[in-house]
Amino acid sequence: MSNFRIAGKGRVNRSRQLRFSFDGVDYTGYEGDTLASALLANGVHLVGRSFKYHRPRGILTAGSEEPNALVGSNRGNGRFEPNTRATVLEVFEGLKTESQNRWPSLTRDIGAVNDALYMLFSAGFYYKTFMWPKSFWDKVYEPVIRNAAGLGKAPTAPDPDSYASRFAHCDVLVVGGGAAGLAAALEAGRSGASVILCDEQSEIGGSLLAEPTAEINGQLAWDWLEDTNAALAAMPNVTVLPRTTAIGYYHQNFVGLCQRLTDHLRIVPDGAPRERMWKVRAKQVVLAQGAIEKPLVFAGNDRPGVMLAGAARTYLNRYGVKVGNWVVAVTSHDSAWHAAFDLAKAGVEVAAIVDVRGTVPTQLVAAADALRIRTLIGWTVTGTKGRLRVSSVRVNPVGPGGKVGGAETIACDTLLMSGGWTPSIHLFSHTQGSLTWNEDGQMFLPGRGKEECRLAGAGKGRFGLKAAFEDGAAAGSAAAADAGFAAQPAAYHVEGELSFTGVTGHELPTDRDPGHAKAFVDFQNDVMAKDIRLAVREGFKSIEHIKRYTTNGMATDQGKLSNINGLAVASDALKRPIPAVGLTTFRPPYTPTSFGTFAGYNKGALFEVTRKTPIDGWAEENGAVYEPVSLWRRAWYFPQVGEDMHAAVARECKAVRTSVGMFDASTLGKIEIVGPDAAEFMNRMYTNAWTKLAPGRCRYGLLLGEDGFIRDDGVIGRLAQDRFHVTTTTGGAARVLGMMEDYLQTEWPDLKVWLTSTTEQWSVIALQGPNARKLIEPFVEGIDLSEGAFPHMAVATGKICGVPTRLFRVSFTGELGFEINVPARYGRAVWEKLFEAGQRFGITPYGTETMHVLRAEKGYIIVGQDTDGTLTPDDAGLSWAVGKTKPDFVGKRSLSRPDMLAANRKQLVGLLTSDPKTVLEEGAQIVLDPNQPVPMDMVGHVTSSYWSAELGRSIAFAVIQGGRSLQGKTVHVPMPDKVHSATITGMVFVDPENTRLSA
Amino acid sequence: MLLIRCPYCEAERPEVEFTYAGEAHIARPADPSALSDDEWRDFLFIRTNPRGRHFERWRHMHGCGRFFNAVRDTVTDKFSMTYKAGAPRPSDEEIALASSATADSAASVKDARP
Amino acid sequence: MLLANHPLLGKTITGDTASKLTIRAAEDVARFSLRIDPVAVQAAGAAFGTPLPTRIGGVVEAGGRMALQLGPDEWVLTAPVAESDAIADAFAALGETHSLVDIGHREVGILVEGEAAALALRSAIAFDVEAMAVGTGCRTLFDKAQIVLIREDKNRFRIEVWRSFADHVWGILHAVSREIALGL
Repeated sequence: MSNFRIAGKGRVNRSRQLRFSFDGVDYTGYEGDTLASALLANGVHLVGRSFKYHRPRGILTAGSEEPNALVGSNRGNGRFEPNTRATVLEVFEGLKTESQNRWPSLTRDIGAVNDALYMLFSAGFYYKTFMWPKSFWDKVYEPVIRNAAGLGKAPTAPDPDSYASRFAHCDVLVVGGGAAGLAAALEAGRSGASVILCDEQSEIGGSLLAEPTAEINGQLAWDWLEDTNAALAAMPNVTVLPRTTAIGYYHQNFVGLCQRLTDHLRIVPDGAPRERMWKVRAKQVVLAQGAIEKPLVFAGNDRPGVMLAGAARTYLNRYGVKVGNWVVAVTSHDSAWHAAFDLAKAGVEVAAIVDVRGTVPTQLVAAADALRIRTLIGWTVTGTKGRLRVSSVRVNPVGPGGKVGGAETIACDTLLMSGGWTPSIHLFSHTQGSLTWNEDGQMFLPGRGKEECRLAGAGKGRFGLKAAFEDGAAAGSAAAADAGFAAQPAAYHVEGELSFTGVTGHELPTDRDPGHAKAFVDFQNDVMAKDIRLAVREGFKSIEHIKRYTTNGMATDQGKLSNINGLAVASDALKRPIPAVGLTTFRPPYTPTSFGTFAGYNKGALFEVTRKTPIDGWAEENGAVYEPVSLWRRAWYFPQVGEDMHAAVARECKAVRTSVGMFDASTLGKIEIVGPDAAEFMNRMYTNAWTKLAPGRCRYGLLLGEDGFIRDDGVIGRLAQDRFHVTTTTGGAARVLGMMEDYLQTEWPDLKVWLTSTTEQWSVIALQGPNARKLIEPFVEGIDLSEGAFPHMAVATGKICGVPTRLFRVSFTGELGFEINVPARYGRAVWEKLFEAGQRFGITPYGTETMHVLRAEKGYIIVGQDTDGTLTPDDAGLSWAVGKTKPDFVGKRSLSRPDMLAANRKQLVGLLTSDPKTVLEEGAQIVLDPNQPVPMDMVGHVTSSYWSAELGRSIAFAVIQGGRSLQGKTVHVPMPDKVHSATITGMVFVDPENTRLSA
Repeated sequence: MLLIRCPYCEAERPEVEFTYAGEAHIARPADPSALSDDEWRDFLFIRTNPRGRHFERWRHMHGCGRFFNAVRDTVTDKFSMTYKAGAPRPSDEEIALASSATADSAASVKDARP
Repeated sequence: MLLANHPLLGKTITGDTASKLTIRAAEDVARFSLRIDPVAVQAAGAAFGTPLPTRIGGVVEAGGRMALQLGPDEWVLTAPVAESDAIADAFAALGETHSLVDIGHREVGILVEGEAAALALRSAIAFDVEAMAVGTGCRTLFDKAQIVLIREDKNRFRIEVWRSFADHVWGILHAVSREIALGL
């Protein structure tokens, strides 16, 4: 295997050799290598197949803008990531990588037939090719064609890694650790401001890492870099974050940074997070993100071996890797000349430098002559050859008037190209800062900003090291000053500066039919110049539309390379200047970012808060099956050995109806309302009348929105003249308290009353069933439990099992019942004590499903299940709970709006299926005539439906138009298997006389 | 994430501590039964929904718990000022003054540390 | 008396050998939510036995009793568990209109201590914890859980959180302590 590593060049650690594999072949690299540099060092250029045409593709860049070299990377133990850019993936010992979008192999890929079928896949192919015949959608287009196009495969195993997040506040955030960013961080750091400097690469330094011979203030670049890094590390007010990409810039200088912590490590410590999302709030931001080199647009510019000149120079100077043995450079900019010179000096045969400009700086030509490099000034490139690697380039002179002369072919294994540089203004664009077109530099530059933000260096078009340093220093000290710290920017002296002139490329002239040229603009999405011209011919004028029609710039690289070239091609086709064509919007994230980083700690058990009651542990130990109710997990039912849910619920229901059951009701929302105006406040909030409710008594309370619709309900006990214990639904607790606070603070601030959430102060044990009183009597102190002294809907304070209790005599089952509130820490102990004592009654713990069945048998509704935000009290059959003589309460006025009084409103009713064994599906639609044509006239739907063991048949609630007047009528429920019929009834199925409540 | 100044805590706090609560200065009528159906409809549902300056309510839900009012631009998302619930709708002059005061305070920080 | 079942009781996370970070469940305390018109704050302080702070965020601590002002008319009061009834009685005798609600069992206290304490909290708290003054407190969010945070000392914070949210807060602090111990 050939070795392209050059002795004495680069910064990789030659003492640390690393083994890795690509497509099953083992290679070696060094610490400090990226996968791209290590593959190039082994002579590997072919790394992937393109998105649509499956064209062989190589490594185009040396940075995060890479569109071609996407690989699958495997870090073991299920840690597989598709679409990793080889140019940012750091090599570590044992790294396994593979190419993507090819079958059966990278060199012999069947899908490459797409390349010959270009006409099927031209601009807008989704809208055209796949339209007809319709039957082809299912059979051909989706399974075959879509499968053939694409990137890597998503991993199938759950992500085993953990992720972190961190908030940070600083005076100055500097994005980018190149010359400008370092100078900015130094100034801000010296001023005493708190500074965060982040850079996406593994090493801080940016382009300085590829400039070993430049001299800065008398020091070689790498020596200066080492000293500078040491100086920054010594400042306690400066945090330097390598491997950290600023992915998004949001309001008020809030910037998201993705820090990669462990991907580059061979051995990841247990529990170490893979990545961390920094959420930085900076007083001032300096964006020093540098510039991205532009490809040239010519036929065959996408073959493996064709790469950006600056990238080749980086591979040589930073990694000590020559990208080929016979190199040709084609350029419209000085920078490719310097790349060619460096390669030639490293012993690489540079066959020619082709410059499309008519004139180039004379010192470049002289330097080329000295290195015996042939120069073709005013020439163009019109094609390349080579199946899996470029083997030759076709060049032509361009005469006066742009006439392209006869072709010459030059053999090469690598073709460098440079179309100039585009300032990286992505993050600035996130802030909705305006951009202005710079005609001289043929580039967009930052205009008016909307945040406390500065740009510096090449990122705002100040090219060259000295310009970058001085611009960075100026930005850093100005940012520090605006954050309140004095700073005086230092001057910089730079030797060995490169010349940096050029013109911006439009598509290169050719002697062939440009309509057949495979001249790529967007390498990742396989968009060619002719696609953009086609879009223009088909009538698209806005760049936003052209982008979407051709998909130019819509790949995962967000058009870092393609946007500006696409714009130039569109501008030529539209015969309008570039600024008149416009620019598409960059959006976060700057580079692809893993979902895990966004999730942070919120995965697995911490995905969401799981609230558990104090009794939850007992339920878990006793085999409860859980269901989520808002953020809570609640015991759903308690199956015994061999029982399914149906059997368990039937057993639990029977126990409550015949003896006693116990239920953990701790999740009920609880609000303590205290103050001399408490009753007045209750009168205004709830529909019911509260003034006459005596202390020690409870009442069912109904809460409406101002629109008159039911919002919540619950039993409310009056503990004292000035103190109410309000309960709410489990899911409504926070909402109800918020609504009450709103009225109290903003409508009735004069009322002397305060609200406190006590949901979690109390554990609540519901004991329900004919033996409930017998069970608790021996444990209760200070409360007379007799029917006369403590009837249904009474409340009292006392002690149970020796701990304080608020004891409610209430029932959501229709049986004699108590709800025992005890301070939360005693909940489980009291529960266990009562469970033990209840054994002689066959006490049975029951879950939410049984609670639902029992309440439905009694016709009690559940707000949020039987109501949906469109039901009035009357719709729900709760008119009795509305205090009609009260002058006002929240929602009262709405109840007399014309629509609320309409005759045909949906009303809540009972339903009994004709076949008693049929349990209807909740949510099923109801029709009056099952034989009407589709679409049928749906008059309502089923809201609750259960098997009632007590009745030996199913029961249901439904909302039906005018339902209460249709009692006894038959309705129909069409379902996929058959149409069920049911009779409309009242809602109380068990003990309509309420005799059991007072048993 | 926005920073919002709570007029009760007299501090800028992160947006996650706050909840939005709709348009401000829509008082519940003292006697709803005296309103016509149309008037009541307007109170319930009709909002200005402006492009630009908006008077709106926020609550420092996970902070001091208070509802308060704010002047915010719905295009730029920028807050001009916040003020306590019950305070009258600020005039153009007051809003301009509050906006420039924010700018001034930033400048004065710069001067304070030469 | 039955056994109190205290969530997190006895639990500790020790981050690393250098003890840059220790997280432990706080000893239980009596807690009350006091709501009263601020003009009556002096009378309330007299009832509590310790003057109440008079600006939002202020903390006053004396003789094992602590008062933190959370809102214009809202204070949280804590004291040793044994003094709970005495405090309730003292406020029952207070002439001024007010609301005193026992929230002793609603919350759980977590202590975060050590050089890396603020760093650990920054993992899930959005406001500038580093800039928080010693001897102040506030309600805020820790990830998705509402908490009350008190900075007792430069390197010591107390979190008060509703009991059913305590596991979530604890779980995140556990993950955070690991990354801090690893120096990541």
